[in-house]
Amino acid sequence: MQGDEALVEGSLIAGCRFFAGYPITPATEIAERMSRRMPQVGGIFMQMEDELASIMAIIGASWAGRKAMTATSGPGYSLMQEGLGYAIITEAPIVITDVQRGGPSTGLVTLPSQGDVMQARWGSHGDYAMITLAPSSAQDMFNLTIKSFNLAEQYRNPVVILADEVIAHVREPVKIPPLDEIEIVERRKPDVPPEEYIPYLPNPSEWVTPMPAFGDGYNVLAESVMHDEFGHRIGINHAAAERMIKRLYYKIEKNVEKIAMYEKRYLDDSDIAVVSYGSTARTALRAVREARKLGIKVGLVRLITIWPFYDKLIEEVASQVKAIIVPEMNMGKIVREVERASRGQAKVISVPKVGGVLHHPDDILSTIKMAER
Amino acid sequence: MIDIASPVKVRQIAVSDKLCKGCYLCIWACPWDVFEISKERNWRGVKKPVAVRIEQCRACRLCEWYCPDFALQVIVSEEEEKRIKEVEEKYEKPWFDRLKKRDKIISKGVWWLED
Amino acid sequence: MLSEANFEHILAKKYMRTEIMPHAFCPGCGLGIIERIILMAFEELGQEEWEHTVFVSGVGCSGWAPLYFRRDAAHTLHGRALAFATALKVSRPNLNVIVVMGDGDSMGIGGNHLIHAARRNINLTAIIATNMLYSLTGGQMAPTTPEGARTQTTPYGNIEPNFNLMELLKAAGATYLAKWTTYHFIQAKNSIKKAIEHKGFAAVEIVFQCPTFAGRYILGKPDPRDMMQWLKENSIPLSAAKNKSPEELKRKIVIGEYLHRTDRKEYTERLKELEEKARR
Repeated sequence: MQGDEALVEGSLIAGCRFFAGYPITPATEIAERMSRRMPQVGGIFMQMEDELASIMAIIGASWAGRKAMTATSGPGYSLMQEGLGYAIITEAPIVITDVQRGGPSTGLVTLPSQGDVMQARWGSHGDYAMITLAPSSAQDMFNLTIKSFNLAEQYRNPVVILADEVIAHVREPVKIPPLDEIEIVERRKPDVPPEEYIPYLPNPSEWVTPMPAFGDGYNVLAESVMHDEFGHRIGINHAAAERMIKRLYYKIEKNVEKIAMYEKRYLDDSDIAVVSYGSTARTALRAVREARKLGIKVGLVRLITIWPFYDKLIEEVASQVKAIIVPEMNMGKIVREVERASRGQAKVISVPKVGGVLHHPDDILSTIKMAER
Repeated sequence: MIDIASPVKVRQIAVSDKLCKGCYLCIWACPWDVFEISKERNWRGVKKPVAVRIEQCRACRLCEWYCPDFALQVIVSEEEEKRIKEVEEKYEKPWFDRLKKRDKIISKGVWWLED
Repeated sequence: MLSEANFEHILAKKYMRTEIMPHAFCPGCGLGIIERIILMAFEELGQEEWEHTVFVSGVGCSGWAPLYFRRDAAHTLHGRALAFATALKVSRPNLNVIVVMGDGDSMGIGGNHLIHAARRNINLTAIIATNMLYSLTGGQMAPTTPEGARTQTTPYGNIEPNFNLMELLKAAGATYLAKWTTYHFIQAKNSIKKAIEHKGFAAVEIVFQCPTFAGRYILGKPDPRDMMQWLKENSIPLSAAKNKSPEELKRKIVIGEYLHRTDRKEYTERLKELEEKARR
């Protein structure tokens, strides 16, 4: 199965029943397959007039009670940033797939890149937190899509699947487990009458409120202006604004341990660690294996959740090794986060790669050899 | 000045202190010259229109309809007054307690701002 | 006798979030009248319809209007109201989705979404409140600003011709079109009622008075009463406008019901057919 196809099937199993998109290479296959599959399962596929409309449409569908997603690539993702902010402030669960291609601008249309990792965190204006997952195989595309919908519903926040052209177009076997073994999180609906429901004030120890759909009679306001607990515009009420912003931020950042997913390989006896994500992790694994054959003690950390960034994991790894190597298909972005989180305990080496091509295992291997010396 | 007595007896033309902003569209709309601008400002600093010549009112409700702030209503009978109270009880009241509930929770401080 | 201290009109008590009123509009702003027109339409349509109604609005003064209704409402981004509303409607076709937009939302930043919503002929009710400029930001030129008018961004007079919204939407494929001013509120109310009941994309443009900016800069009439009088005197019914030259119609508001056609299929119906086809 192709990566894109695995993503579509995963989303349908997760309960996605609305897709809005605009054709863009290399994410077009997702829209194409969605247009065929969605009506078969009673969902809706809409090709919108642009990406600005696509993201607003999925937020609209989300507020109408459906699980919704869109798929795009770099230029479209840039356009979606305004809508992303709207999803965050109204706490609408949506899933966005960004199949990364080379930038800036129209850039390298058909070639892979990992240049959007920082945009996935900081792209929209203002203070907010994001959940971003990076698949590195077609199987991941399936699994992580289901996971994304679950996280989105649980935290009422947009989730970005940060794939790239390689993962989107790779053809690999995908194992689909029996449906009853797949964990699916459904949206919580309010259990109090409308007069007692406060749309943006969760119960103690919870981070988000149950979410009614439009037309359920709860008289909710999906307000894009900074609002109070009722969704009413607040103007210059600093305390209410602080409450709102901090909750939106902390609901993700303080739950990083619950959200974060990663994979450690050969790390127990290593002096060197390679930290990688997405399609680069495949090359990194090959390089690590080759280095091991040469007797170099090197391990691999694959970040599955990129955002929120799991500082504690990197800090732990850094305390154990003398060098951390971060290969990325960009000029070095996550390496800064790794450097910050390692707190100077290990030497952090960036292995950038641009131009729309994957690292050659030798690129990483030579850096491992250099770090070992 | 019109001095023909109205065939309708209007009970009250209520102009809200809470909502009126003093745009005087009611005065512009009134064909029967019922209103006069009050001499004194109310607590919101607005010189409200006052129905000084209520006996001339025909209850055409143009003032009511052109009022952008839902501040004015021509009340012709006791029945209408009763209806207003009923609507208040049924549609408006249930929502006001929500404000108190929120304030009670917030005044204790919210958990995500602690520590 | 009722106390005047906290008095609210019966429509406000019944349909509006009175706890956040008085609303944030300037004294004499026509948006309050547009709110009332909508509520009067629903008073006649009945409680049942009201309970199946949701509101979507964009950004700007007009975007604030439906937020005072005690219904589900989305205050979306500037210009994106229709995209949000489209998805809402297809996801829950039994809801009346009413979209309140201003000049910028409809013809400026949201122009693309407007023509595509009309092209799809999706069953939405678009209430387009136009006031000849952008007023939330302080009176800048809008796509509806008359040629030659002075605003904050056209200090030497506006050199751009303005949109004819009704003709634009007619060409794009809308199926119900009407244009009124806040002065003609009974007609506007009837049009909104028809628009809600109409199956297909219905747009009602309502020209409203903005005494603070349009009144002050464009017309030189900062008093809402003068502006209402101006709206009254400068409106020409569609039938009378037919015999007039474009020169005569300059700076006039041509009001009336422009279009009511039932021959185009509605989008949610098309979607239903598509689903049946796909499942076969």
